[in-house]
Amino acid sequence: MQALLLLADGRFPAGGHAHSAGVEAAVADGRVTDVATLAAFAEGRLRSVGLVDAAVAMATVSRLARPLDGDAARAVLARLDAEVDARTPAAPLRAASRRLGRQLLRVAARCWPSPLLDLAGAPGPDPHQAVAFGLVGAASAMRVDDVGHLAVHHAVTTPMQAGVRLLGLDPFAVAAATAALAEIAAAVVAEAARHAAGPLGDLPARSATLVDIAAMAHAGTDGRLFAT
Amino acid sequence: MGAVHPADTPHRHVPPGGALRVGIGGPVGSGKTELVACLCAALSPRLSMVAVTNDIFTREDAAILTRRAVLPVERIVGVQTGCCPHTAIRDDISENLDAVEALEARFAPDLVLVESGGDNLTATFSKALVDLQIFVIDVAGGDKVPRKGGPGITTSDLLVVNKVDLAPHVGADLDVMATDAAALRQGRPTVFLSLRDDPSADPVAALLLDALTARRAPT
Repeated sequence: MQALLLLADGRFPAGGHAHSAGVEAAVADGRVTDVATLAAFAEGRLRSVGLVDAAVAMATVSRLARPLDGDAARAVLARLDAEVDARTPAAPLRAASRRLGRQLLRVAARCWPSPLLDLAGAPGPDPHQAVAFGLVGAASAMRVDDVGHLAVHHAVTTPMQAGVRLLGLDPFAVAAATAALAEIAAAVVAEAARHAAGPLGDLPARSATLVDIAAMAHAGTDGRLFAT
Repeated sequence: MGAVHPADTPHRHVPPGGALRVGIGGPVGSGKTELVACLCAALSPRLSMVAVTNDIFTREDAAILTRRAVLPVERIVGVQTGCCPHTAIRDDISENLDAVEALEARFAPDLVLVESGGDNLTATFSKALVDLQIFVIDVAGGDKVPRKGGPGITTSDLLVVNKVDLAPHVGADLDVMATDAAALRQGRPTVFLSLRDDPSADPVAALLLDALTARRAPT
């Protein structure tokens, strides 16, 4: 439980504060303007990228929870890496996901030292964030469902917090809107659990095309406050 | 001005011969980017240097440094701070560490300058990110600024008071600033500069060279 609480805390130094999960671009385009549109954006993220992230994170932790030798674990991680790549069409978001994965492992390796975390960077590029959630979940002995909740928690709180900062929205209203998403979040975790138990190739592949396109434009914008 | 020995504050595991990382913080408009440009001009002929900026308009800072040809553009990296310039240099330094480590891996520099986003007097750098920190204020912000304290004023390794050429025009009393800074800084050095009148930034460059020498001295 302690690991989950730490990892869910926005103050945990894992690099997330520099990301808006697409809200900065959506605010610039006039698609997010108030608490209601921000909450709708976060719900869309929850049902799309949130589901994929949760399923990948849960698939990672459940596979690594079993004793695996180094080669077998590396093979699973390489496969998961490819599955996330295939589900992340926007290049800046692939790069950001890897950067957030690396940053999560940097702090997690200090908190929960584990041979599993040493494996992550060894075979190739930095792990995607969702895979890193699963790796850290395995290293800190988290329950599989909790890893799913962790992934969707960040999928929701990252855009919500960015909305508060960018639009000066009522923080209490945004907190309430976040709390109101709890039922949908729980349903997403339950759905992710079903996917995570199946073949990796069948993991969900939902995306939000407009968010992807906006992310590509945002990456070339000077004067942006958030990395994504 | 006494040499500042980063080895006295061993918060970061610095490999022998590794880069000296220097944080430059201070309020908006005090001259942080100007100081970085002056230091690059003064020191890049003899040192390998890189710079990380945390400003909102990264390209503008990079353009200032490249236009003066003080640093090639590939040696300057901007990071985004998610509206929280404090957080990016103090509480969650992940983005800045990534940028610094990538530049160190690529260029093996002697000196890394990390310029914070313009902030207020409570900004301070994590000791896991930098070895030394310089805080830049200017006389046009008012001669009461040193008196207000805050970690930048009180604990930085060097306090730079810039734009002393403006003092007569804004009614700033430099003696008051010096007295207040000395009282709050308990022996840590403070220098008064006008980077516009003298872009050599000599006292700052000297401090960094001293720190580098101390870093490399056999112990």
